[in-house]
Amino acid sequence: MKNIFYKLYVVAFMCLTVWFIVIIWNVTFHHVIEEYENRKELEEVATIKEQKKREAEKTKFERIILQSEERVKHYLGYRVIEEQRIEGHFHHIGFDIGPDNRSYCIRCHGDMPHDKVRDLRAFLNMHAFFIACQTCHVKTEGRGPRVYKWYDRKTGELVPSPVLTYRAGTYNAKIIQIENTGVGEPQRVDSQERIDFASEFKEREKELSEAQKSKAKKMIHEIVSKQPSICEDCHQRESPLLPLHELGYPRDRIDSILSTEVVGMVKKYTEFYMPRMLHPGEQNKENEK
Amino acid sequence: MSLKRAARLYIVGFIFIVLNFYPSKNLFSADVGNCLLCHKYPGLSRIDEQGKMKLLYVNEDIFNISVHLKVKCEGCHTDIKKIPHDPVNKVDCLVECHIVEPSSEQKFSHKDVDNYVKKSVHAALDKYGMPKKFKEDLPTCKNCHDEPLYRPLSFFKQVRPGISEAALGRCRVCHKKEDFIIRFYNHVTTRLHRTRNPINIAEVCARCHDDPLLVERHNLGTRAVFSYGETFHGKAARFLDERVPDCLDCHVNTGESVHQMLSHKDSAAITYRENKYLACSNIECHPGTSQQFASYKVHAEFNLDQSPVQYYFTLFFIILTGGTLLPLMAIIFLDLIRRLFPDAVIPRRR
Repeated sequence: MKNIFYKLYVVAFMCLTVWFIVIIWNVTFHHVIEEYENRKELEEVATIKEQKKREAEKTKFERIILQSEERVKHYLGYRVIEEQRIEGHFHHIGFDIGPDNRSYCIRCHGDMPHDKVRDLRAFLNMHAFFIACQTCHVKTEGRGPRVYKWYDRKTGELVPSPVLTYRAGTYNAKIIQIENTGVGEPQRVDSQERIDFASEFKEREKELSEAQKSKAKKMIHEIVSKQPSICEDCHQRESPLLPLHELGYPRDRIDSILSTEVVGMVKKYTEFYMPRMLHPGEQNKENEK
Repeated sequence: MSLKRAARLYIVGFIFIVLNFYPSKNLFSADVGNCLLCHKYPGLSRIDEQGKMKLLYVNEDIFNISVHLKVKCEGCHTDIKKIPHDPVNKVDCLVECHIVEPSSEQKFSHKDVDNYVKKSVHAALDKYGMPKKFKEDLPTCKNCHDEPLYRPLSFFKQVRPGISEAALGRCRVCHKKEDFIIRFYNHVTTRLHRTRNPINIAEVCARCHDDPLLVERHNLGTRAVFSYGETFHGKAARFLDERVPDCLDCHVNTGESVHQMLSHKDSAAITYRENKYLACSNIECHPGTSQQFASYKVHAEFNLDQSPVQYYFTLFFIILTGGTLLPLMAIIFLDLIRRLFPDAVIPRRR
């Protein structure tokens, strides 16, 4: 037994020695290497400059992507706020929402897919943050009662309602519709089969002919309704599309969502902007005029 | 008085105290227009016509610890006159908001800050009123500032930073409004020390001053924050030490606004060759230091091209330290292997 403890002691000491070696290396010779690399980097400034000009489009892409990657820590003494830094964004974000790994729609359409209707796009994107695309864009009428569940953005698994755990809209989960196909058990609209098909299309897109691409796209969008659900489908007291109570919303949150304040604002939007949303092409024509 | 009646009175009294004095979050909110009805949702966002992401979310919790907590949304977003509102214009930080500056009793604005910046090295126009070269590189308010947050200090016993409940207890003797007390305490104590941690200041400056393209364009000669990180001050700042000088301590004349940063070529600047020692000899840093003390190259990078003397000097110490300690560690490691396997032998080849 004594021998085992002695061996463990020696191994622990060896680990400590290795740790010291790494530290000493980092503050000494690694520093020299770093300086050499920095010098090289500066020498390459002119080349980079030229490259940046040539890759203007790529830079634009990188700017959008990378700006959400930069992280900052604000040291307030009694508290540290760590958050993403978005260039030009004045107000603090203060928390992180992971990517939606389940959605196959956003692989092509992006995380902020709504941009056609200028006056509504931010609202629609806001809802897309906690409502899966299929919930509004796929209608499964005549197939029994509609069922909606929450799924985890990271794992894609169905999870219990996060509404009581997190602040409004900051859930790491989204609402998805459960489809009754008439055959077997009801299944999620974003079924594994559909995900696999869309993923394979994305992977093999380059090798497909135009006709094949069109066919595949049609099949992927086959379930998409021409008339998506609109704000008033949910923000109304009579028969809201989403069963908010079943989705875990407490009474006061349901009252707020269906309040005169929200419903009234939705009406104002509907009055002024909604007709254009239902005929998206007209918006562009108006702008062109 | 019966026991029952007394108990009832106590309960009513307790409810009254809780309702009146409990520091509810809503007490602080300046959201009179109920803008957070929509803007509390983090997904409220879009990609604009220039391909830039616009996040329209306001984190209420963090906003309530910011210096602007009493400014109404429309105090800055002045073009919002109706709900639903149209896409808003860029905020003009020089606008007069509804806050009244107590000493002059006039509406508050950041115009004075702008006047300082106009005279500083960061001004977009030169002294003749002509646009400077690479004007677009020069900072505007939001390049250096996001929402400034309170950093309250605790003076009682100094066990931890933050708000001192003991101090607040004193305030409560005379002042009755809880939100006023906390806001006032936050405001005053935040101003009594650094409004940002040195490392946060350095990060802000680094966005421009460590950008190799910008450094080259403006012929700045050094990556200022990188070289700051090489010094004792920078290394201590990295360990979140707040007693070390940050960029502003050495680049702004003591007692002046940080927005009044002058070029090192300006004889009035603290970074002017003859004045540099004044920054070091500050009573809080190295009092009584001579001009010679500050004559060394402060922003020398460990770079052969830029500072060959410092480079070889540092290189000597690196080799001395690494060359001594690494073999020592290697010997210790080999010795430990022997202790772990005392009888191990490497078989000889026949």
